[in-house]
Amino acid sequence: MATTFKTLNSANDVTSTRTLLHEAIPLTGTIASGTYSDLNVKTYSHGMFESVYDYPYLSSSANHIFDVTTGYSSNSAMSGASSVQNSKKLNIYSQMAQVLVGYDATGSIQNFDQDGDIAGGGTKIKEAVFVNFSRLLSKDEIKKGSFEMWVVTGGVPNSLSHRMTITDDGAATSYKVNSPAGEYGILYTGSGVKDANSGVGLVYYQAGVALLTASIFTSNATDSSLGPGYASGTYESLATGSNIEGMANAFRNRLQNVSFNNTVELNSTVYFCRASHNEFNYSNNPTYLSESQIRVKNSTTDNPVSYVTTVGLYSSDNELLAVAKLSEPLKKDPNTEVTLRVRLDF
Amino acid sequence: MAFLDNSGDIILDAVLTDTGRMRLAKGDGSFKIAKFALGDDEINYELYNKNHASGSAYYDIEIIQSPVLEAFTNNTSTLKSKLVTISRTNLLYLPQIVNNTDVGLSSNSTNNILTVLVDQSTAEDVAIAATGDYINGYRIGDTKSPIVMDQGIQSNAIGDGSSVVLDADLVETQFMIEIDNRFGNIWDASGTSRTTPSFIDDDNVATYYLSKSTNKGYFGKSGTSMSGEVLKGPRGNRLKFIVGPSVDLNSSTYLFTQLGSTATLGSAVHQIDTTVRITGVTTGYRVDLPIRFVKKQ
Repeated sequence: MATTFKTLNSANDVTSTRTLLHEAIPLTGTIASGTYSDLNVKTYSHGMFESVYDYPYLSSSANHIFDVTTGYSSNSAMSGASSVQNSKKLNIYSQMAQVLVGYDATGSIQNFDQDGDIAGGGTKIKEAVFVNFSRLLSKDEIKKGSFEMWVVTGGVPNSLSHRMTITDDGAATSYKVNSPAGEYGILYTGSGVKDANSGVGLVYYQAGVALLTASIFTSNATDSSLGPGYASGTYESLATGSNIEGMANAFRNRLQNVSFNNTVELNSTVYFCRASHNEFNYSNNPTYLSESQIRVKNSTTDNPVSYVTTVGLYSSDNELLAVAKLSEPLKKDPNTEVTLRVRLDF
Repeated sequence: MAFLDNSGDIILDAVLTDTGRMRLAKGDGSFKIAKFALGDDEINYELYNKNHASGSAYYDIEIIQSPVLEAFTNNTSTLKSKLVTISRTNLLYLPQIVNNTDVGLSSNSTNNILTVLVDQSTAEDVAIAATGDYINGYRIGDTKSPIVMDQGIQSNAIGDGSSVVLDADLVETQFMIEIDNRFGNIWDASGTSRTTPSFIDDDNVATYYLSKSTNKGYFGKSGTSMSGEVLKGPRGNRLKFIVGPSVDLNSSTYLFTQLGSTATLGSAVHQIDTTVRITGVTTGYRVDLPIRFVKKQ
């Protein structure tokens, strides 16, 4: 019986695999602070965050890369009715904490913890700058141990001498799992000691969010400053006297570099399409016949020959569900057997 | 649609088709790959040179060098020609499917294409009716003759078709007809009953499976009993059917305006050109018949 299909044996011809793919994401500070004269920075009338694009955002080719915002806890000393946009700063902090830290036993939203030991107490991050990366960049997750950020915490915004290198050093093997939003690591300064009291922020790998404690900009920190035109200003002075947009602008201008590797989890199904020696040696290509005679044969003793360029994967009711193309024709005759490995990624 | 890089190892470029994505999105378990087929759409076997001066290694040199296109996602545009499994290797002739216009509907003598008149005013227009053969879409049963497709071998090199039978494993006992469901549907040879499509895909292409055992009204005499044949060699089965117009074409000019054109066929008419694809399920041999739906303006 002639046939054009071959049934796949689910036990031997189909298998599933999982692969993690990584790509390096380098973001230079000029993107965040001035390449496009801020035309790539979108602000909103609600003033709760601003978005940074890789190109002027009115262009259709612009891609959203991250958002910047800031906020403080109701326990913060900076919280007060006299602070500009006080309720919005509280709301931002609560919202981020609600999603990333979760609730305590009484149902209250917990604060961010400096060393990630939420239940153990310790220092809480009550004021923070949040950098929320677009899924376009972070994909399924940020690769642990690959995150690095350069922030100028003193002097003028482009000062090299006041630059702080912040990384999630060691997170590839040591990370926290007590967040409702997935795994996260502690951010440390490149030169500092890495202990429970030296963390300067947190990076949430699956959520694609990095937060920095405002303490690196406050007057308590050595060498601290925030904002263009605020050469001697501190986070505190802006937190009480400026709105979120102004603070986000100030932070952007002190953000020199961000780099990380993202991760894509690729789930694949591999179909082994096996053509035995006595299968698929003829063709119904219209050019295969001339007056019904097979062109590639002179006599009945010649072997039939066909050339594979395409593999079609079909449902049981003969609907074509997937197609794979070979990069060059593959000769098939009764002397050859071929196995074509078709991988579908999901 | 670019060519694939063929400078290194053989690689496979795989994509889901639009139908595959649709089924996956449904989430109802209908995305289940059960079988595969191999195709050779880009191959022109006329390039196979059995008389190449440099010997047999060069017979297929031009075929092997054929560039291959990237995969199409449109399920109806790819795998048009498939490789066929026949365990015997001593076949020199393979059957084809041909449109028999001697006993079946022939092209309209004015526009040289199989023509369907879609409604009453078109079918009863004397000037249009005088232009040549047509399918009467208003009264399907009044159509003079159905479309007839004969399966068999064109050459009499292995015997005359009136006395030699086609090998049983090459006889088509089931045909697949595909047609754009917006335009037409499939009726039996007498024009008395319309069959139901097996499925309609995301591109509105309806697929009909017609089996000799269950759809007798679509099959004529076969093999050596076949009369009015156009095939010289051994013959398989004869498929007979009529293409009827859809309700949309019958009752509205919307699709004609959107997708068609206007012309004069005795009278001023709207027309849409499309194809009906007939495929033998056993050998996979496929024929595309051009067809025109006509509606009086």
